[in-house]
Amino acid sequence: MQLKQFALMRAPRDMWLLFAVLGLSVLGLVMVTSASLQIAETRLGSPSYFALRHGIYLTMAIFAGTATYVLVPLALLEKLRHVALMAAFVVLVLVLMPGIGREVNGSQRWISFAGVTVQPSEIAKMAFVIYLAGYIRQWQEPLKQTWGAFMKPLGLLAALTFLLLLEPDFGAVVVLSMTAMGMLFMAGVPSKRYLLVVLVGVVLAGLVAVAQPYRVARLMSFIDPWADQFGSGYQLTQSLIAFGRGHWFGVGLGNSVQKLFYLPEAHTDFVYAVMAEELGLAGNLVLIGLFSFICYRIFKLAVGLLEEGKIFSGQMVLGFGMIIAAQAFINMGVNMGVLPTKGLTLPFVSYGGSSLIICSVMIALVLRAERDESLMTVNKVKRRLP
Amino acid sequence: MKGASREKLKRTAAQRTSPQRVSAPRDEAKVLTLRFRFLLGLWALCAGVLIWRAVELQVVEHDFLARQGDMRNLRVEPLAAHRGLITDRDGRPLAVSTPVITLWVNPREALESRELWSRLQNNRVLDAKTLARKVTSYPDREFIYLARHLAPEEAQAVLDAKVPGIYPLTEYRRYYPAGEVAAHVVGFTNIDDEGQEGIELAFNDVLQGHPGRKKVVRDLLGRVIQDIEILDDAQPGNDVRLSIDLRAQYVAYRELLAAVNRDRAKGGSVVVLDAKTGEILAMVNQPAYNPNNRTGVNVASLRNRAVTDLFEPGSTVKPFTIAAALESGLVSASSRIDTRPGTIRVANKTIRDHRNYGVIDITTVLAKSSNVATTKLALAMDPQVLPALFDQFGFGHATGVKFPGESAGLLPFRAKWRDIEKATLSYGYGLSVTALQLAQAYAVLANDGMRVPLSLQRVENAPQGQKVINAATAKNLVHMLEEVVSVEGTARAAAVSGYEIAGKTGTVHKVTSGGYAEDRYFGLFAGIAPANDPQIVAVVVIDDPQGGAYYGGLVAAPVFSKIMTGVLRALQITPDANPGVIAGGKTEGGRT
Repeated sequence: MQLKQFALMRAPRDMWLLFAVLGLSVLGLVMVTSASLQIAETRLGSPSYFALRHGIYLTMAIFAGTATYVLVPLALLEKLRHVALMAAFVVLVLVLMPGIGREVNGSQRWISFAGVTVQPSEIAKMAFVIYLAGYIRQWQEPLKQTWGAFMKPLGLLAALTFLLLLEPDFGAVVVLSMTAMGMLFMAGVPSKRYLLVVLVGVVLAGLVAVAQPYRVARLMSFIDPWADQFGSGYQLTQSLIAFGRGHWFGVGLGNSVQKLFYLPEAHTDFVYAVMAEELGLAGNLVLIGLFSFICYRIFKLAVGLLEEGKIFSGQMVLGFGMIIAAQAFINMGVNMGVLPTKGLTLPFVSYGGSSLIICSVMIALVLRAERDESLMTVNKVKRRLP
Repeated sequence: MKGASREKLKRTAAQRTSPQRVSAPRDEAKVLTLRFRFLLGLWALCAGVLIWRAVELQVVEHDFLARQGDMRNLRVEPLAAHRGLITDRDGRPLAVSTPVITLWVNPREALESRELWSRLQNNRVLDAKTLARKVTSYPDREFIYLARHLAPEEAQAVLDAKVPGIYPLTEYRRYYPAGEVAAHVVGFTNIDDEGQEGIELAFNDVLQGHPGRKKVVRDLLGRVIQDIEILDDAQPGNDVRLSIDLRAQYVAYRELLAAVNRDRAKGGSVVVLDAKTGEILAMVNQPAYNPNNRTGVNVASLRNRAVTDLFEPGSTVKPFTIAAALESGLVSASSRIDTRPGTIRVANKTIRDHRNYGVIDITTVLAKSSNVATTKLALAMDPQVLPALFDQFGFGHATGVKFPGESAGLLPFRAKWRDIEKATLSYGYGLSVTALQLAQAYAVLANDGMRVPLSLQRVENAPQGQKVINAATAKNLVHMLEEVVSVEGTARAAAVSGYEIAGKTGTVHKVTSGGYAEDRYFGLFAGIAPANDPQIVAVVVIDDPQGGAYYGGLVAAPVFSKIMTGVLRALQITPDANPGVIAGGKTEGGRT
């Protein structure tokens, strides 16, 4: 009886969130399988190559998430936040080292380590959120009062941004900046200061984009992809066609034409387009709905924790929510031509082990935060009762 | 800077103790809620943008985008239409279409991935160099042929290299199972499956199918993923069943080839007709060609000489001269004609017989082929009677088989005939005929005086003929012609064991640019079998035999005999001869 109660108390509180994430992951597996069959067969001679791997990654992600949920207390994370920050810098420097980092399509974004390929920017994003949550908890009051407390995390963000731009991974920069700014916003930084920094940040980002001509080309092509549909606008027009072909209910699972080599990266960055083609607007809205639901639950939890004064866990949960929301929004926006083309994966859905595992760990920490904090409340209540 | 901020920190810490701080938590909670709502609002806006865009793309712009997609991956592909079969009268194939693969390339696509061309290194059908040469010659085209009519496995070897831009196309290639044997009749098609010669050309509209069109979805590599719809069904061409009997055709081909080789002749033709129906059972020529491989073939060999080439029929028209004399009542079957002294003078020209035959009956005139006798008859007739009758026998007209390049022959019409013209016409000079026309004329004799239209297609019911001469006259003439193939006649070599044969030889000087050549001849034989119930007519033409013998009775009659033996056996025609009657069949000799 007690054991059962114990187990119940240890179980995640927000089962809806867990189910939504699992549902999204299963949808992801199905879509990656559908989108990759022909590509894998033609390029690698084995149609199930990517599908099988994605299944293995998903299993690994579930294990990693469970382990994190069971084994990692938030207090430990808070203590280790400086280690996390160090780790973020180390992996981002490592990926730039020749021989360690692996270059794909002109970007050095992967580390091959003992046969496992890791995307350091994914690790860096999560680690920085943990660090920043701890920082905000420590400098809670100064952040509301002084420039200095506000500028320090921004300086670290700038350093990480610099490293990320060396890869280059512009998408990760945007996600990380949005996340950090979101967390600082909720930390209560005064509005005028905040706005000024945002303005400077936007101008800087604009300068970075203009400084490199190929980014300008990408920027232009997203505004009117049909102007150069066989050049810089090729990928986007193919993606848009996938959406258009989908219509209300899609062409049917497995029937996408665009995935048949017309759409590059069909199983990674553009798996959303394939899904929209095969499952139509209906499937598309389900996906947007699932992401909205997941992010809403996370944000709701975050603000609840913050209101209770649990700054570290609240900020961390908020940060993770920001990462997932930003990444999902940007990926979907890119797929639909609302945002300029960037190499960003769709969390829980796109093919790729790093993204899946990190996302899984983040969700595990969100659930753990909810449980730990509510458990404390329960214990307090219990203790008070007799 | 750092020091300054520390100062500030301390100051703020000091401020905390001030009384204002009491209201701070409530304010902070308010700020938190406000900011959270703002943040949530921003994200809701983002979700809204996504949903709006999703609806815009998937519903509002659906038509435009789907059309753009169709433009990129929908293609209309031809559905190859099968060309009809050509068969002989019993359905044996003479021309069949087999599927083959043609490879084509879209140079624009191919040029985008030059580095992959090396995959075709050492490919037997299409190597990288050939591809490079063709593609770079026409970089702006979207379709050029690479290799046509490949066997499926050859094409697959190229396709397996997966060079972008190379696509297969199914076409049909014509194959002629009978090869040289039926080449002149059947003809051939060009690489685009269009008839060029013979029946392939004459019946092109019937044989040719109408290619259909289908709409397909292709992936970026050009492979068809899905058939969307068939726009037009491919309509296969119709089969053409010829009147040719392949067995007869084989026999005729074999014997003509042997004879032309033996007599070192320049060429030759054989036509075999069904006398009752007018069907052409066999039609062969030398020189011939292999329609399955026409590389290096002499254009002269392509001619179906039996219908295109003209010659003067010579003595083979004598039966028709006799027919005119009999029909006009000038002579009767029992009349006798004085041919002494074996020569006759007409307008400064001496017309000769082989020797002085004396006073002979009509039968003997034919058996010995007396020029003097036919000259006398012709001079005694109204000058228009003979040409008019020749005309009715079909000389000077196309036979109506509508064979491409058929010659109508030449039968002069004159208001006033000079004696020498009348005389030469009576023994077959001064007019030109084809082998087919000559066969048609003999078919009139064989068919009780009725001329039926000739046909290269199988005829189910014998057509109503047109009367040329009386049935009795025709029967009489056939009976008389049996004597030609007797021991006494000029064509003993034409005899066929077990059958009575009626026929007539001919040996004519070839016309060259300088007039009649002294030493160059056509050796002719036209015959009917079996004589008691005429069914088959055959004409043999040997062009310019150089082997010493040149008389029709020596060069053409033996060929006729062999062919007719084979044809009669193949067609299972009942023997009509009394055993022993044709005892002299194998003996030497025979003259014009």
